[in-house]
Amino acid sequence: MDIPAPVKALKINRWLPYLAVLQSDMRQTQRSWVYRLWVMASVLSAVGYLLYHVGVYQKAGMVQLASTVLSDLLLWTVLGSVTLIIVLTASCISAERGTVADSVLSRGISRYQYFMAKWHARLITVIGTFLVLGGGALACSYFFLQEDLSLMGSIVAMLTVALLLMMVISLGVTFSAVASSTLVGITFLWLLVYGVGFLLTLLPARFPSPYRMLTNLPHVLRGDYSLHDLGQLATYSGVLSIGAALVGLIIFSRRDV
Amino acid sequence: MADNPSGLVIETYKLTKIYQNRQIALNDVTLSIEPGSVLGLLGPNGAGKTTFLRLVLGLHRPTAGWVKLFGKTMSPNAADLRRRMGYIPTNPQFPAGMTPITYLDYVARLFGLTSDSRKPRLASLIRAVDLLPVSGEPIAGFSNGMTSRLAVAASLINEPDLLIWDEPTHGLDPEARRSMLELIKRLSREKSLIVSSHNLSDVDEVCNHAAVLSRGQLIYNGSLQDLKGRMRRNHYELDLEGDQKAITKATAAIKNMTEFKTVSLKQRRLELRLNDDSTNTSALANVFMTLADSKVTLVSIRSVGQQTEQAFLDLVEKEESRGFARAYQVEEAA
Repeated sequence: MDIPAPVKALKINRWLPYLAVLQSDMRQTQRSWVYRLWVMASVLSAVGYLLYHVGVYQKAGMVQLASTVLSDLLLWTVLGSVTLIIVLTASCISAERGTVADSVLSRGISRYQYFMAKWHARLITVIGTFLVLGGGALACSYFFLQEDLSLMGSIVAMLTVALLLMMVISLGVTFSAVASSTLVGITFLWLLVYGVGFLLTLLPARFPSPYRMLTNLPHVLRGDYSLHDLGQLATYSGVLSIGAALVGLIIFSRRDV
Repeated sequence: MADNPSGLVIETYKLTKIYQNRQIALNDVTLSIEPGSVLGLLGPNGAGKTTFLRLVLGLHRPTAGWVKLFGKTMSPNAADLRRRMGYIPTNPQFPAGMTPITYLDYVARLFGLTSDSRKPRLASLIRAVDLLPVSGEPIAGFSNGMTSRLAVAASLINEPDLLIWDEPTHGLDPEARRSMLELIKRLSREKSLIVSSHNLSDVDEVCNHAAVLSRGQLIYNGSLQDLKGRMRRNHYELDLEGDQKAITKATAAIKNMTEFKTVSLKQRRLELRLNDDSTNTSALANVFMTLADSKVTLVSIRSVGQQTEQAFLDLVEKEESRGFARAYQVEEAA
């Protein structure tokens, strides 16, 4: 082995390690079976559900409101998908614990950069995928069903679901950085998300509840939305997500890997 | 040197690591490494070698004490310090589905190298480690030797000042091992290295300093020459030539000497073990006189035992035999 001598000083870009992990994680997520299962299950269930209602509307002549069909689709897709999203996010750091130290964290990257890259990669992948799939379902509902959708209402509905997903993803990444094993992280997060979601439905209507927000989607899709409510949800979601990420960041940057 | 007043590459002070209040992996390790040193990190399994390296790399946080690299304190977020280091773990693991080109590109980006810097560098390194014909093949199918060469390339991609190689010759065939040792010798001309190894002959060949860990404690830190100097030179083998009767007679005379614990003759090879309080020069002088008187020719003489290995084993044995006396020394030092 004859190692080449350096010819000139190496140029350093301090953001490249963050971008390297971000891109690598997005590619890795898209290749994972959990992600593919989530996309496939969402697409198949959406196509099946929409075809049924299009058939009922066009062949039997029964009016099928796009807002009702789409909100049902979003509600059940989200409720069903959350488990897979929990698996996808709560494993993102803990599943690599055996190799991440030697292959990544021993290089020129800080723990902060690594955690942020992982968090952002999962946010982009999961929310991006949801927006693409949801956008497709929205377009199909608009063209093939009794169209009663409002453009702004549709955007607000998609944003509402995206903000709810953002909280789950941020909690998932935090749990994966904090938990001692992937299984423990997934279990605790699953109990937390479904448990708190259920408990919130028991509270009076003035308290925000994810389930109530999702069941209110038909009105939102028709244009009966409140930007104040959306802003409130964005604030809650932002505070919870950033708070959870901060906790994860601090703990991860102090632990042995 | 302005930002590193001590001029040392690594400095540790009372470095201690206790895992979850259950296991003391490293205890009060204070050492320093000067630029250009090649430090051999020695110790039996569980001695704390890997813990020490992980603390130096900032992968673990010390329970007490500190590590400074190039005059700055190491921490998990000290990416700037790690940019000056190249690391090879014992069994390098590579991400699935990557080829040497994509892997080295990924590692170079983790060091923050821009495209202008990293592309020519990775191409040169792939050529240098003889992976050019397989540069587009998945790493998953590589042999031990090939993965070791790739790990070497990855550890050099950022042109580090300090190399930390954990068992670099582990699992290599003799030819690859020889090549690796030659590479270490060449790199040692311009870089500082820490080589952790179980193979003491490797350390003997390439290192100029040694640190010996035993049960988490640093029991030796200094030059390799000094370590060898501590070896008990009390076991010799002499190959003789001459009349068999004369050899037997000389052996009988040597057996009567009080300096020797055991004297045994196997055909024409005489094996001598000195008593612990005997001086080897005077004892051997008496042996030579006896052989000369008996008209026996000395063909060769050698000190038995691989030198570094013997010195290392002696150190560990001595440390373990001290028992509770270790506690008194700590008290005295305090």
